[in-house]
Amino acid sequence: MAKRRREFRILGMTPSEIFKEFISGSTGKVAMALFIILVVVSIYALIVLPPNFAEIWNNPKYWQLNPQYAPPAWMDSVIGPVYSPQIYVNNYEYSVQQSNGVTYITISFSVDYKYDKPWNEIFVVINNPAIYNLPQPPVLSITVYRPDGNEIVLGPLPINRRVTTLGVAPEVMGQVNLFYAEKYHITGVVPTGSSATPYIFYTVDDGKLTPLKGVYNFRLVFYVFSQNASSLINREDLEIVLQGQIYGLMGTDNEGHDLWLGLLAGFPIDLAVGLLTALIIVVIAVVIGIVAGFYGGLVDEGLMRLTDFVILLPAFPLLIVFSVLFRWNIWYAVVFLAIVSWGASARIIRAMIMQIRNAQYIESAIIAGASRMWILRNHILPQIVPYILYLLVTNVPGAILTLTSINFLGLAGSEYPTWGILLYYAEVFGALTSGYWWWVVPPGLLVAFVAVVFILTAMASEPVVNPRLRYG
Amino acid sequence: MGLARTLAVRAATLVILLFIVLFVISFALAGPASEILKDEIMMETKSIIMNLMLHGHYNSTQIQQLQTQIMTQLENAYGLNKPPVIRTLYIMYNMIVFNWGYSYFPSEYGNVGGGKVVDIILSALPGTILLDTFGILLSALIGIEIGLRSALKYGSRSDRAVMYYAALSNGIPQWWLGIVMLLVFAFYLSQIHSPISFPVGGIISPKYYNLWLTNPLKIFTIPQAVLDLLWHFTLPLITVLIINVGGWAYFARTVVLSISQEDFVTFAKIKGLPEGHIVNRYIMRPAAPSILTSVFITIPFIIFGGFLVTEMVFHWWGLGYVYNIAIVGSPVPDLPVVVALTYASTLLYIVIIFIMEIVYIILDPRLRE
Repeated sequence: MAKRRREFRILGMTPSEIFKEFISGSTGKVAMALFIILVVVSIYALIVLPPNFAEIWNNPKYWQLNPQYAPPAWMDSVIGPVYSPQIYVNNYEYSVQQSNGVTYITISFSVDYKYDKPWNEIFVVINNPAIYNLPQPPVLSITVYRPDGNEIVLGPLPINRRVTTLGVAPEVMGQVNLFYAEKYHITGVVPTGSSATPYIFYTVDDGKLTPLKGVYNFRLVFYVFSQNASSLINREDLEIVLQGQIYGLMGTDNEGHDLWLGLLAGFPIDLAVGLLTALIIVVIAVVIGIVAGFYGGLVDEGLMRLTDFVILLPAFPLLIVFSVLFRWNIWYAVVFLAIVSWGASARIIRAMIMQIRNAQYIESAIIAGASRMWILRNHILPQIVPYILYLLVTNVPGAILTLTSINFLGLAGSEYPTWGILLYYAEVFGALTSGYWWWVVPPGLLVAFVAVVFILTAMASEPVVNPRLRYG
Repeated sequence: MGLARTLAVRAATLVILLFIVLFVISFALAGPASEILKDEIMMETKSIIMNLMLHGHYNSTQIQQLQTQIMTQLENAYGLNKPPVIRTLYIMYNMIVFNWGYSYFPSEYGNVGGGKVVDIILSALPGTILLDTFGILLSALIGIEIGLRSALKYGSRSDRAVMYYAALSNGIPQWWLGIVMLLVFAFYLSQIHSPISFPVGGIISPKYYNLWLTNPLKIFTIPQAVLDLLWHFTLPLITVLIINVGGWAYFARTVVLSISQEDFVTFAKIKGLPEGHIVNRYIMRPAAPSILTSVFITIPFIIFGGFLVTEMVFHWWGLGYVYNIAIVGSPVPDLPVVVALTYASTLLYIVIIFIMEIVYIILDPRLRE
């Protein structure tokens, strides 16, 4: 005779019934949709970000070609062409000539300048150490053909490092100043300490500097003092970057970090932090709750005193002081936060178990000779599983918010940029007094988004775990 | 009799809690964290030596000797030469008698009380009390009113809106909303030369700052200063209200909902009593104590969570902002201030909890017996 399939029921409902109940309200539908978005974005973040992202993020050299404090690139499509975008010059003409032991590499390209704020800087990057480590380094000379028919000759500059920054070379500054002095009789156009590059794109109108719009042609000539094939600057060795004033989907920060990547990285780390805290809280709460509720008597009394104590602890000030004293990183903060936050959850679990324990079927089971473990496994655990999940969900937002606050103080840091850390640097580097909204608004919105997803999920599952509300 | 005993037990619990927190912090400071202290002594010694080298002529051996001498003297002064247990007790004793020492960077706090940590913290209390009292009471009043109304219209569109608002406001970090408010109403408003714009932070204009730090009560006798205070108070208060109203509304809604499902309410409805009568007599009355008590019980948790960081964002001269200066604003963490602040917060927190429990007992007739 075939064995009847045992139906799996929790709180008198099968999983599909629970799901139906959860999704029945509008809150449930919204929570479900947001949750799916959250999961999809997190998976996307994990795929997009390289495994050594923390290392990349903390390596300033990786970001040096990016503009600092740049608004997002889509700003131009909102307010019109104001800021020059970041340009990686790819379609340049490339030719090589050799004579008398010298290799001439000529590169020409053109850019259409139609913005109000010109490019900050021009970088010439050589990705082949053999070239910039030559005993006699190659030399670069640049000619700029401006739309007004004038030309500026810049250089020669020695190529003796990976990244050559055009505008800060003293020769270039002098040459740009000289250009304005000869053509417009203005001296000292380039302020000391700033780059000369933007001034390539200006003209003088009515005694004032104004942007000169139009097509600029650049001709770069590299002189390599050797005819070896190994010291030839190939196309793939060469990068030419015009550093814009806007960058990427979400702009940049003080170090030129692409904030879009930083925000994406926040998904896995903030979720991990929140879920781990909640998980530890729930594990402690379940163990304490079961032991207290199941054994009763003195054990219960003692554990409940302990729980009261933990509930009363001022978690946030303690978290601050220990993070300062022990220079904790975020994972220590997670563990500590969990250790001081399980009180309320443990009380709920204990109350549940006390209620179940006094039911008649437990009494019958005891009379029938069931062992404690059997009762725990067969009667109690299945009933509290939904509450455990519910508590897991309710504890996540609080943990994320608290740890974001701690990070915002510059404490409990991590290699991976969390949203709180982004906000900390934004505050430190004056995002507020300079109006860097793209650095401040998105991280907070994402924290709020993740927290709200969990809060809504908890709200929607309340009718499931609290049957009194079910037909309200 | 029973009431007095309950309160006594509660008070004892709270005092024990205070001692445990104090012990843990002191122990951490005396034992594992003494490395930080050593670093700071090293730094202090170096600055003294630098000063000496600028003003006198010493050769390198003399400097070496002086350095070790100053190091040992400072270590003795900080008690680093004593075993950790003694040091822990010593720190605990100093904390209890409010001998909290001196800040490392008094100028960061505007030289309040010559850098005495007690004075710095005392000067920060009025600001915290002002923001927290108004913030919590106003948000509770507004929130509970909204919650009641939405519970009575259960399932309506406005009720659902209140639910979503509650979820959203619980998820938004209060201090982050403060940043956004500052960005919009302080930075951008002044950027477009709007006639009305708000200050980018601070509790009061610089000319009244000294008065506020020394005698905040006197501020309230100068009308211009009060206006100035209110001008600075607007943004923090609005921020706090936006975030906290939602939570109260949701809570009040839940309580009222669960009571309106009780049999006696159903019976009153069946009896055909007028709607207003049912609401006032049968729902509000049983709901009031549990709403009010929870207002009181949660106050300390609210204060020592979001409010601290909100003060930092607004540079609001309160405990939170002093924390911020001690941790972020100083070249190295200002240990005496951080530790004393944590102790002071715990103390304040426990006092508030105790007061609230007395109020709780007064409000809940079941506990009075």
